[in-house]
Amino acid sequence: MLSRSAIGRQAQRAVLRAQQPVNRRGLAAPASGSFAYETGDAQGIKYAARDIPGAVASVALVAKAGTRYQSAPGLSQALSLYAFKNTERRSTLRIQRESELLGSALQAYHSRENFVVGAKFLRDDLPYFVELLAEVANLTKFQPHVVHEEIIPLLQFAEKKYLSNTLAMANNSSHGLAFHRGLGAPLELSGAIPLSKYITADTIAEFASSVYAKPSFSIVANGAQSAELNKWISEFFPDTAAQPTAQLTSEKSKYHGGEERIAHGGSNSLVISFPGSSAPTGSAYKPEAAVFAAILGGQSTIKWSPGFSLVANAAQDAPNLHVATKSHIYSDAGLVSIEFHGAASDIRNTAAKVVDTVKSVAQGFSSELFQKAKALAKFQQLEVGQEAQAGMELTGAGLVQGGKAFQIDEVAKAIDSVTEEQVKTFAKEALENKASVAAVGDLFVLPYAEEIGLRV
Amino acid sequence: MSTPSLAPQIMKRPWLMRWMKPISNWYFENAGYRKLGLRADDLIPEESDQVQLALRRLSPKESYDRVYRMRRAFQLSLSHQLLPKEEWTKAEDDTPYLSPIIKEIEAELSEREDLESMIISKRKANN
Repeated sequence: MLSRSAIGRQAQRAVLRAQQPVNRRGLAAPASGSFAYETGDAQGIKYAARDIPGAVASVALVAKAGTRYQSAPGLSQALSLYAFKNTERRSTLRIQRESELLGSALQAYHSRENFVVGAKFLRDDLPYFVELLAEVANLTKFQPHVVHEEIIPLLQFAEKKYLSNTLAMANNSSHGLAFHRGLGAPLELSGAIPLSKYITADTIAEFASSVYAKPSFSIVANGAQSAELNKWISEFFPDTAAQPTAQLTSEKSKYHGGEERIAHGGSNSLVISFPGSSAPTGSAYKPEAAVFAAILGGQSTIKWSPGFSLVANAAQDAPNLHVATKSHIYSDAGLVSIEFHGAASDIRNTAAKVVDTVKSVAQGFSSELFQKAKALAKFQQLEVGQEAQAGMELTGAGLVQGGKAFQIDEVAKAIDSVTEEQVKTFAKEALENKASVAAVGDLFVLPYAEEIGLRV
Repeated sequence: MSTPSLAPQIMKRPWLMRWMKPISNWYFENAGYRKLGLRADDLIPEESDQVQLALRRLSPKESYDRVYRMRRAFQLSLSHQLLPKEEWTKAEDDTPYLSPIIKEIEAELSEREDLESMIISKRKANN
């Protein structure tokens, strides 16, 4: 047994519980077997669970509190750094040590729309980690000295890391150009923000009281039975606030577009974005955006070959250049971004060719290419949905925002139904709109949007 | 660095508290630091890591007031004077503002020590 002085009540309980498992299942026993999430409502908290077989389970609290919804810059990031810090019952160190002892990984991160606090652990420890999440949500002590001694230095490190990554800067900049506020808010803080003005224990606590309220978050579990999750949520989350202190809202996203150029001595990046598709649970869902992104592509899925994608073939003369097309999907809008990262001269030469490729897609393409792209898009979407990590975030976000969980089967069907004509129209619309072009790096060499044939 | 104290034990027993209170008041009135406008927590020796950390955790206002009280006390000490009687620290103002923070830091450190010296045995269920 663990010595009493060294380990707290919660860990002892968890250990005891592990010794007398309630409904323990071996690895080989059949699970409910479905990859679809079962959703439900436990005391006003929406949850989704899927009982995938395996020894490792994960649970996450997904809140509608990414950078889009924050009330001051950097709050989402600061709150994610503040997860698992001192609570009324346990200290930071004890939380770390107990979760280490149980063999688990704690995680907290934010994206543009979502804020995720969660853990991966051995299947039997579900009650311990649901209780831990409840403690983080309800009982965290927001202390000024923790903000000064831990959060602000971490934010400053994150800033340094961000400012040395030109691709991240270019991506943020193109989101900013495309959506201005809301979705356009930078994902990470850049050096020019007065930290002491926005990030204090009080502002974080206020934001947390809006984030950790029943309507703002949902709980998603992988490798747990729905009934069991329901039971533990009902037991540990009764004290959660029923209403947020301030509603976390953001205006409906509107696409603007434009061009921004940022001088940087380190490396060179260029990001070209066109308006894209919202999430399957959102209103402006266009499955053709994923197929369009796959046709353009850039990253090969097979070794030693550029693959079929048009952008990869256009970029063949610059083998050291990173080119990729990504379909960023948000709840009510999306972006299809083509990103370049590498030598400035390579970017200059390749970007024009890539834009010509996009124009050629609007004119037409072979149906073989279309079939390949459709298959790849379907594969990529299903892979993301099936992968526990990203799937959990998407599912939780779908629950909080639309009351619908992200279901893989529907996504696959939607992509199957895309036609060539839809993709052509999508490409045409993309070119008719203003693009969002962000160049970061050696501005003497990096091209202007007009030089590579784009409207901004 | 928090010093050992009998005060919690005495405060638990009302009869003893009634008996000790006048002695304590007499002692603090005559200790002299209140006549220089200081508080009891200003007298805690600063030369340790814990106290240094606690001083950094003071709010800006408390930190400023502390420095003000100390500079005033040095000045008075140099000029061999006491404050006018109405400016002496009143008993109700003589509250601990630093020692709770020091205790918190010491609790953190001792928890860390406890966890470092913990003996772990493998549980039987998850094998």
